[in-house]
Amino acid sequence: MSAVCVMTPLVIASWPVISAAVVGAAASMGFAVVGPRTNREEQTRQRGVETDVANSEVIAEQLAHDQKIVVHKGDVTITFAADERGRCTACVTGRRHSDEELRRIGEEVAGRVVQQFAYNKLVSELKSRDYSIVEEQVLSDESVRLRVRL
Amino acid sequence: MERPEFDIVIGKDGQVTVEVKGVKGPRCLHYADLIREIVGHEEQRKLTVEYYAQESKVRIDARAQQRRDD
Repeated sequence: MSAVCVMTPLVIASWPVISAAVVGAAASMGFAVVGPRTNREEQTRQRGVETDVANSEVIAEQLAHDQKIVVHKGDVTITFAADERGRCTACVTGRRHSDEELRRIGEEVAGRVVQQFAYNKLVSELKSRDYSIVEEQVLSDESVRLRVRL
Repeated sequence: MERPEFDIVIGKDGQVTVEVKGVKGPRCLHYADLIREIVGHEEQRKLTVEYYAQESKVRIDARAQQRRDD
């Protein structure tokens, strides 16, 4: 071992790439994907708590700011979307939860989206550079460990 | 021949910790930079005892070579 580095992912990608991370993260936490929605569709009018996906930027493309993806578990619904500044946001609603609980759920899910995005990007980029994933495991704290060799 | 190996842990908050193994001395930083380019922003870098130990070994070998030349 020669160096240890700690890094924070930048979640900068097109909406389809970020959507893939959202779907993967949501599924790993037991959320079901209700599906993509547009602003034109009927929205459930509930009080919600909004959280940013850290360091995120949805690369501008046609329809990106109109699209949303909605996931659901129990009475909690999370709507992911790109805001007007291009950041990916998660709006969490749930009738039986306090704002504090909804905020905590939102932050946890947003973190998992970043985790999934980083995983997808690392695996695809390293494979494209001829590295091999020789071991992969989910640790008890829900971190993902990858062992990679050239 | 160098056989770089990465031990990567992606935390549930998305933070990525990478250990570069199998590469001696400062060359390992080249591989750390590769991961940084993929992931994004680097928060912290720690060079381990082994990193510096390797550098010392290189210097000792050089002196030994000089003595032989004398």
